This record gives sequence, structure tokens and C-alpha cells, in this order.
Amino acid sequence: MTIGLKTYRELCHGCGNCVVSCPVNALRSEEVAGGKGPSDDVDIIMIVEDGAIQLKNVDLCGKCGTCVQSCPVNAITLEEF
Amino acid sequence: METTEIMDGKNITLERAGEEDRTLIFKNDMCAVCGLCETICPVSAIEANPTGAMIRTEQDMSKIDIDVNKCVLCGMCSSICPFQALDLQINGDSIRELQYPQLIKSAEIDNEECIHCKACETACPQDAIIITRELPSRAELITGEIDIDKETCIYCGMCEEMCPVDAIDIEHQTPTSDNPVVATDINVSEDICVHCGICKRICPVDAIKQVCRICPYGEYEISEPEINGNSYIDPELCINCTWCQEICPVDAAKVTKPFEGELTIEQDTCQGCETCVMVCPCNVLSFPKSTKSGLNAEKLHKDERFCIYCGACQKSCPVDAINVKRTQINYTPTKSKAWKKAFESLKQ
Amino acid sequence: MPKHIVSGLKYIAAVNLRKQGQTQREIAEALDMDRSTVSHYLNGRNLSWNSIEVAEMVTNFCPKDFLILTHALLKDTERTRTIIQTCSNLKFEGIIRNSCIGCGICVDTCLMKAIVLNDLKAHINDEWCCGCLICMEMCQTNSIEIKEVVD
Repeated sequence: MTIGLKTYRELCHGCGNCVVSCPVNALRSEEVAGGKGPSDDVDIIMIVEDGAIQLKNVDLCGKCGTCVQSCPVNAITLEEF
Repeated sequence: METTEIMDGKNITLERAGEEDRTLIFKNDMCAVCGLCETICPVSAIEANPTGAMIRTEQDMSKIDIDVNKCVLCGMCSSICPFQALDLQINGDSIRELQYPQLIKSAEIDNEECIHCKACETACPQDAIIITRELPSRAELITGEIDIDKETCIYCGMCEEMCPVDAIDIEHQTPTSDNPVVATDINVSEDICVHCGICKRICPVDAIKQVCRICPYGEYEISEPEINGNSYIDPELCINCTWCQEICPVDAAKVTKPFEGELTIEQDTCQGCETCVMVCPCNVLSFPKSTKSGLNAEKLHKDERFCIYCGACQKSCPVDAINVKRTQINYTPTKSKAWKKAFESLKQ
Repeated sequence: MPKHIVSGLKYIAAVNLRKQGQTQREIAEALDMDRSTVSHYLNGRNLSWNSIEVAEMVTNFCPKDFLILTHALLKDTERTRTIIQTCSNLKFEGIIRNSCIGCGICVDTCLMKAIVLNDLKAHINDEWCCGCLICMEMCQTNSIEIKEVVD
């Protein structure tokens, strides 16, 4: 069984908590760690796009569950595939 | 000869009947998802699921998966599991009781030394310790005299209401024409009275005479209080983290850890996501508070005294900021070269 | 027909056991036969030569086929062991590598009951090994080697 990130864009408020709380994102981009959007050339796991969460580089995910805990509306989960 | 799998909620049981009946039992609740079973399995039958996800988020699946088609029920996972989450039984007997290599680990509280302060019970991260104690009655630790002048007493009940140990008992009643009094009697139980003097001070008519004899005469009449108690470590729950040993004020607890090693944290890499803190079954890791405003505290604090080097934190860290190095594995000797090699392979 | 092959196999086993010096009573017990039948067999009566020829062919099958066929015909592990051991013309030596983890799968699969576990390692009793290689095929850690012994 594999477990991985799954998003529910229809639930997402676009708050960006997950993007900022994600330790992998924070390590890769100081801008993200500071609560700002990433520079174009930095690969991070997820961003807010058109007002909702969008996964970009799921391979980077360490499956720690920080984003899941930070999401106020269960729009991002770690689920079995 | 076929191995069958039975799921009971998230617990897993694998069974194979043959010359010996072998049963492998996995208890999901006991698992810290350290991944040692996955590492040691000689036939790659075990997959430990992502530690952070399993501990921090709600999942319907078991913390580990065991491939029933691959597992040969050799028992290595059961022997190495520091949390006793896996148990191989042969003909109904756990291999922990059989001539199999065992992790050498122990935790004991010497009941003769133990003063039953409950520090270990409070500190134990696994709630594995139960301290029971019988304290003497308060009256045994004080000496004095009390006397209530029933003629003077107006039975107002203030002393009864204020007595902190409920030593005063007044027999209240509603006055009747044949007996027009509010109470018929007042008594103080000298076994319970702690001679605090509150009753004397509150009494509006000075009906109570009370002295504590300790002040004028010292503690001559007080014998050493006897505290009886018992200490118990549940061997099923104990993970030999040494919290009890380290926190005990009288060195009554002795713990032997199964592994020795080193735990390294790269503070610059750590992003403070708290996954490891939540994952660690031994409460080794914490986020310290800043001691002064404007001063950055250490990002992630460790106290290696409590670490058993299971590696769950390292496995859970999404940014590889933690390294757990095992330098020593304490296990009982075995003639099997394969088992020895497997145990030794967990060292770095 | 299967019964005839069984009789043929028992005939060959009986003759071989007699050569090993066993008494008729012992042979009858080992092969689960009447003593009179053993006596008839040893005197060459009561059995078609064709059954013996077929049975002889069976004993010359590859060891695994010989074993599985015999076990399927007899449906009895103990008699199968006796017949295979007495009728097989080949000798084998089992070597257990140090990679053996003592999982016991070989013990469970060996129809000849030639394998035991000791100190978390399998040990093959060459006396009973028939060379079927089932243990080798089943071993998940590739720890068994079976060699044919040529005199």
C-alpha cells in the first residue's frame, strides 16, 4: 500500500497554510518559509493556484502530515492510493 | 503449509500450520513505526508505512503491511521490535520465551529503594508504570489536644463548617417545644483532628480549647511516618527509555536499553514541523521555549539519555534533518550466523 | 491401475528390505501389508510382472516426480517415505548455507521428513533426502543446496 498527498480543490479556501507549513517547501524556499509565494525557479510540493491548492512536485513529499494538520478545511490529506 | 492472514481491525495475524504451528501477531497500537522490522526482514515481506502520516494523521490502514505471500514467519521482526508490537509464537509460545536471539533490555524499580513519589509514573511516556501507595492518616503526623466545652458551646456549627478534615460532628436538630435546642451534641474525632486550631479561632464563644503539642515540645511524640507502596512496570508497555531511571530522586529504577548509539540533529535543516516530536515514543525531542525575548531558542532540543535509537524520528523527518546511528545492539548470543548478521546489519 | 503400481512399488520395496536383512514381519509392518502377501511377493507370486515393470519405471523417474506420484498413490506419508528410501537408487547430500534463518518452511514441505531445525538453522538428514529439491525451490533465502552423491 502506498500513501500519498491528495487534494480536494473544491474544499480549498486557498489560505496557503499547507504551502507555508510544509517543511520541505520551507527548506527549499526562504520566501515560502516567510509566508510569501515562491520564486518561479524553486520547486516546491504545492502552491495556491487560481485560489485553490495545486500539487506540483509530489515526489518531494516526506509524508510527515504537517500540511494535513495545518489545513482548516481538510482540503489536503494523506491517503492510500 | 500455506500462510493465512487474519485482520482484526488494524492488527494483523499470520498463521502457518506445519511441523510447528507458527503465528505472527502484529499489534498496531504498540507500533511506533520505527521501521526496524522492515529493515531486518530477510525476505522483504514488511513495509512500514510513512511514520509521520501514520502517527499524526488518521489512517484506515495498519502501520505496517506484511505480505502474506512473502513472509516465512522466521521471527526476526519479532525479535528486533523494541516495542513488542510483533510477536512470533511457535506452538503457542512466544519466541521471547524460546531459544531465540532476544534484545537485552530491562527496566526495574527496586521497591525497597522506591519512595513512591510517582515521578516515574508521571514521566513514563508509555504510561507503563503504576505506583500505588498507602499514606498514613494525617492525625498520625501531629499531636495535640482538643476539648470542647459543651456548656459554653452555642452549636452555631461554624467550627464544623470550617474544619478542613471534617473532624467535628454536631447533632443538629430542629428545636421543639419539649426540647428547644438547635443541637443535642458536639463531638470531635481525635483520630481525624489535625490540631490546626481553626475551630478555636472561629468559635464565637471561646468554647474550644485546642493546643498543638509539636510547637512547644518538638516532634518527640511523632513516629516516622510509614509509607507503604508498590511499584510496577508493565513489561508489555515498557520501551526501556530510561525516563524512570533518570527522573527517580532515589535511584530506585534501573533500565537497560536495547540499543546504543548517537542521535544527530541538523538544526539548520530542521524546519520545526514537529513530526519527530510527535513520533518519538520516548519523549526525547521537544521544542524549547525562548528564554529571553528576541533570543532564538535552540530549534529542536534532544535529551539522548532517553533515546533508544529506534530510528522512528529519522524515518519520519521530511527534510532528513535527523540521523540515528546505532553503534551497539544488545542481544542474547545465537549460533545462527544469519540471525547474527541480521542483527549486526542494523549497526552503522 | 494405480493400485497395481502401488503393489509393484511395494514389491520392489519388500525385496529391497529383505536384502537389507529385515524379517517378513518387519517388512509387513513397514509397508502396511499382510505377512502372507509379503511372503508371496518375496517368492515371486501373486503379482503381474507388468506391474513390477511399471513400478520400476516409476522409481527411475526424476526424484521429485517419483516422490509426488508415490505420495499421491499411497496417500500416506510414512509408507511413502519407506518406499522412496528403499527403492531410490540415488544418494544425495544436503548443504544448508549460513544464510538460513530457520523459518522452517523446508521442514514443513519435506515429505521425507528429512529436515529438522536446530539452533535456528535447518539440518538435512542425508539418509532420508530423496533429492526432490522441493525444499530448495521453497526456500526464500536460497539457503539450500542438494548435491547428488556419486560413489
